[in-house]
Amino acid sequence: MTATVERVDSSGAASSVKTVASRVRDWAESDPQGTAMREKDFGIWQEYGWSKLWDEIVTAGHGLLALGVDVGDVVSIHSEDRPEWVILDLATVAIRGITTGLYPTNPMAEVKYLLNDSGARVHFAEDQEQVDKVLEAEPDAFPTVTSILFVEPRGLRSYGDDRLMFWDDFMEMGRDHRKANPGAVEALMAAAEPDDVITLVYTSGTTGPPKGAMLNNKNATFAIDKIVMAEGRTRDGKSPHPDDQVLTYLPLCHVAERIFSTWHMVGAGVTLNFAESIETVQVNLREIQPTLFFAVPRIWEKIHATILIKLNDASRIKRVFNGIGLKLAGFIAADRTANKGNFTWKSRLAYAIGNPLMFRALKERVGLRRCRWAGTGAAAIAPEVLQFFMGFGVPVYELYGMTENSAVATLNHHGRVKVGTVGEPYSDIGLRLDEESGEIQTKHDGVFAGYWRLPEKTAETMTDDGWLKTGDVGVWVEDTHIKIVDRIKHIIITSGGKNISPSEIENSLKTSPYIKEAMVIGEGRKYLTALIGIELDTVGMWALRQSIPYTTYRDLSEKPEVIQMVQRLVDETNAKFARVEQIKKFRMIPKELDHEDGELTATQKVKRGAMFEMFEDLVEDLYR
Amino acid sequence: MRGRPHLYVSYESEQSLLPTWTQRVMVGLLVFLLVLIPLQGGIEIGDRLYQPVGFLGDNAWLKILSRVAIFGIGALGLNILTGLAGQVSLGHAFFMGIGAYTAAVLGGEVGKAHWGLGLPIWIWLPAAGLVAALVGMLVAPTAVKVRGLYLAIVTLGLVFIGEHLFRNLTSITGGSQSGRKFPSLDFRLWKEEEPFLAFTSDGPMWPVFNWLDWLFGPWINFPAEMSEEAKTYLALAALLVVVVVLAKNLQRTRIGRAFMALRDRDIAAEVMGVPDAKTKFEAFALSSFYAGIAGALLVAFIGRAIPEQFNLLLSVQFVVIVLIGGAGTVAGTLMGSVFVFVFPRLVQDFSGWLTETVESGGVIGSIADVFVSTGLDDPGLVSTLEGVSPGLNVSQLNVVIYGLLIIGFLIFEPLGLYGIWLRVRNYWKGWPFSY
Repeated sequence: MTATVERVDSSGAASSVKTVASRVRDWAESDPQGTAMREKDFGIWQEYGWSKLWDEIVTAGHGLLALGVDVGDVVSIHSEDRPEWVILDLATVAIRGITTGLYPTNPMAEVKYLLNDSGARVHFAEDQEQVDKVLEAEPDAFPTVTSILFVEPRGLRSYGDDRLMFWDDFMEMGRDHRKANPGAVEALMAAAEPDDVITLVYTSGTTGPPKGAMLNNKNATFAIDKIVMAEGRTRDGKSPHPDDQVLTYLPLCHVAERIFSTWHMVGAGVTLNFAESIETVQVNLREIQPTLFFAVPRIWEKIHATILIKLNDASRIKRVFNGIGLKLAGFIAADRTANKGNFTWKSRLAYAIGNPLMFRALKERVGLRRCRWAGTGAAAIAPEVLQFFMGFGVPVYELYGMTENSAVATLNHHGRVKVGTVGEPYSDIGLRLDEESGEIQTKHDGVFAGYWRLPEKTAETMTDDGWLKTGDVGVWVEDTHIKIVDRIKHIIITSGGKNISPSEIENSLKTSPYIKEAMVIGEGRKYLTALIGIELDTVGMWALRQSIPYTTYRDLSEKPEVIQMVQRLVDETNAKFARVEQIKKFRMIPKELDHEDGELTATQKVKRGAMFEMFEDLVEDLYR
Repeated sequence: MRGRPHLYVSYESEQSLLPTWTQRVMVGLLVFLLVLIPLQGGIEIGDRLYQPVGFLGDNAWLKILSRVAIFGIGALGLNILTGLAGQVSLGHAFFMGIGAYTAAVLGGEVGKAHWGLGLPIWIWLPAAGLVAALVGMLVAPTAVKVRGLYLAIVTLGLVFIGEHLFRNLTSITGGSQSGRKFPSLDFRLWKEEEPFLAFTSDGPMWPVFNWLDWLFGPWINFPAEMSEEAKTYLALAALLVVVVVLAKNLQRTRIGRAFMALRDRDIAAEVMGVPDAKTKFEAFALSSFYAGIAGALLVAFIGRAIPEQFNLLLSVQFVVIVLIGGAGTVAGTLMGSVFVFVFPRLVQDFSGWLTETVESGGVIGSIADVFVSTGLDDPGLVSTLEGVSPGLNVSQLNVVIYGLLIIGFLIFEPLGLYGIWLRVRNYWKGWPFSY
């Protein structure tokens, strides 16, 4: 089902460019009562219809005009996922402005950098916490910001800053402006150009300060055509449609969540359901039972760990059935892996037994029972985790892309899955491997318009003949699929001259529910070592059962029993790798890594440079 | 959204009494079963005759079921006060007595030795509830002052005051010697001779069954006549269904939520804006209303009663029902009253069966002989013989078992039968996890 809706243009001039905003208007005209979004409020999932959504977008657009936002001005959004995020984002695009999102975890220093780098005019700060990150800086820290919108008034009533404006007042202003200037937003929308930049997506900045990747209307249209409407993506062959449910819970400022939430909604009419918070994702998942579900490997690992622990904690009789179920699932996973993700009659038979026994109930509990397509991307995932879910019949597919090419690169199609690869390139796109370095390069309409105000950096990421350098090294598997080796920058060359990809080893370690972080070290050294961080919940539980008393994270990490257990896990992983790729020694990371302390990026990726600085003595100790 | 039982998009769906289709179908079947029970002649489908619920259709069983319905109504009242609002009360029997004698005065025979106005049931039944509710409101202020055990003692006092009053107001109650006759359940429009709907005589079917006959006539043959017990049972069952719906609905109203807030912590409830005194007034009024209705129905069902009927034992019986069933839940309360009345009958049947087995001899007979005393010199736990014997008689055995059950439930399953059901349900709901 594609969004081909006959358009009746209210402003008179027919818009030639489909933008993410104009698509909402089309849905509002063809299906005004259909549900576009849901938000949980006091225990009830309150619904937004298409016409209501479109009405609010137009009003918010007028509000922005009233605040003096011009074509090409930047509106920044610093908030958890919520309807206002999407409304403001689409309203900004409607008036030809540029949206940029900030991670809710961004500390003050980064907020300052991002707002000044983008030159934001209007800043949306969700609540007191985010407002404070702006107001507590020195008075002239944000020269470009003229208005700060907030939506949670709690604690803000006594604030005197005259840039502050409550969301409801902003919408009221928008309504007044709309009465005075009817059709102003529609007229701007009709004048949109394919090259209009619609959003700045800041790279996570594992090295150096974040850079704002500019995506324009052309990129968005291309991504919607390629990713959202990809042929043969789902198991029933149907593209996403308005009956599909999506749970929105990853930060919307990340390109992956933008595509899998907002762009799926505007492109295919799926319903967005906003999770209450990251802590309630598992509960919300169970309530919504999404039909399309995208998660980053960290979430899959977390679900995987939770399931394993809970299955193991079940009562005696249940454990017997669970044991049978896990055996069946393991067999199904192996069988499907060998058959491009397809069932053979043997695995189908195993599934027919396992499904009523526990698979169906398990999937219902986890919230993936109705799932007809699940994706993983944005980082590498261990094949074991993928296979675990395949065994239970969750149709999960790995895909690959990056901000700079609108996430359009490769995906695993239904029935042509190769576990361990990121799949095949999308149809009709330019994708090649550099002959020398093996770097993946792409060339298509999804390739970004450049880094915001950084032409020289933009030039650095492009080859001379105009291909985008992704910075990832890949190899062809059977000439159809691509397997990612690692980021070029992460590849370790030992003093013995061996090239080693650390993420494969790290992911294998992280398959265990007890290991949360793993960083393999060995650049220019004789052998490989690792820094390992435990998962507090699961190891804490384990310690409780072994009657090992502990106080803090650090204390638990350093218990000889815990180190012994981790040693066992490391040995298991070592068994899977060649001698040079084996970890000779490891040390426990004495603290939980955190975005605010600078060890992780906002997307929870480990900043290797910062880690080396922080834990220098640990690393040196490993090579003593 | 189909297939997503946890997804509520409106308060209506979140608060609905029967949220899922499974529940709707199950309750529908249960109600249908309740209607089928009294069809003693069985129903003919095609050429074959079916006994819908077999033994339950027999008159003795119907009487037990009628009692279940009456005590169910009364227990639902106590459940509101104790289970929902958390106010311990031993005075339930007193409020039942108030209801019973209100009914007697309003509906009893005119003239003669006792007061009686001969009014029809549609006046005396609601009036019984209302008068009891008024008396309940008089008691409520003490509950504002005292809590827990002390409230139990105060309400215990009510029972003794009540007994004293009932014994001495002979023109109303008939005194402890002979008691008095109570109005019957027959439905009269006014004081006519021939009741509009007769419940207390054998006779033809009710209109309800005429409709059923009209609907299913071509396939099912309904019997034309029904016994007195069957009709009484149906009337009481219908009333019970109404009361259950009301009680269930109460839990999702503002008042019901106020009750529960008060139960969980009265000070916290007051801080949230739940008025303590007013809410307790409401709880006592509502609970006593149910008790009054149940009292009136009980005496109308029995026909004749003495003041000592409304003693502490009756109060305790209600506490037992609520505790065994599961305090605070409607379904539990109903399970409790079924249990309390059906169980003795099962004990009796079982003792009878044991005695028969002993008489028939054999290996099983000798095992049974260990438990049963068949003669003066035969030791055993239970005896079905008339007169003196070493064993307990059946009703004594019942009392013993009751006591053990209450102790057992309080120690091992404070949520009662409902708690057991809850655990069974959660076991399957949690599959394949345990939490």
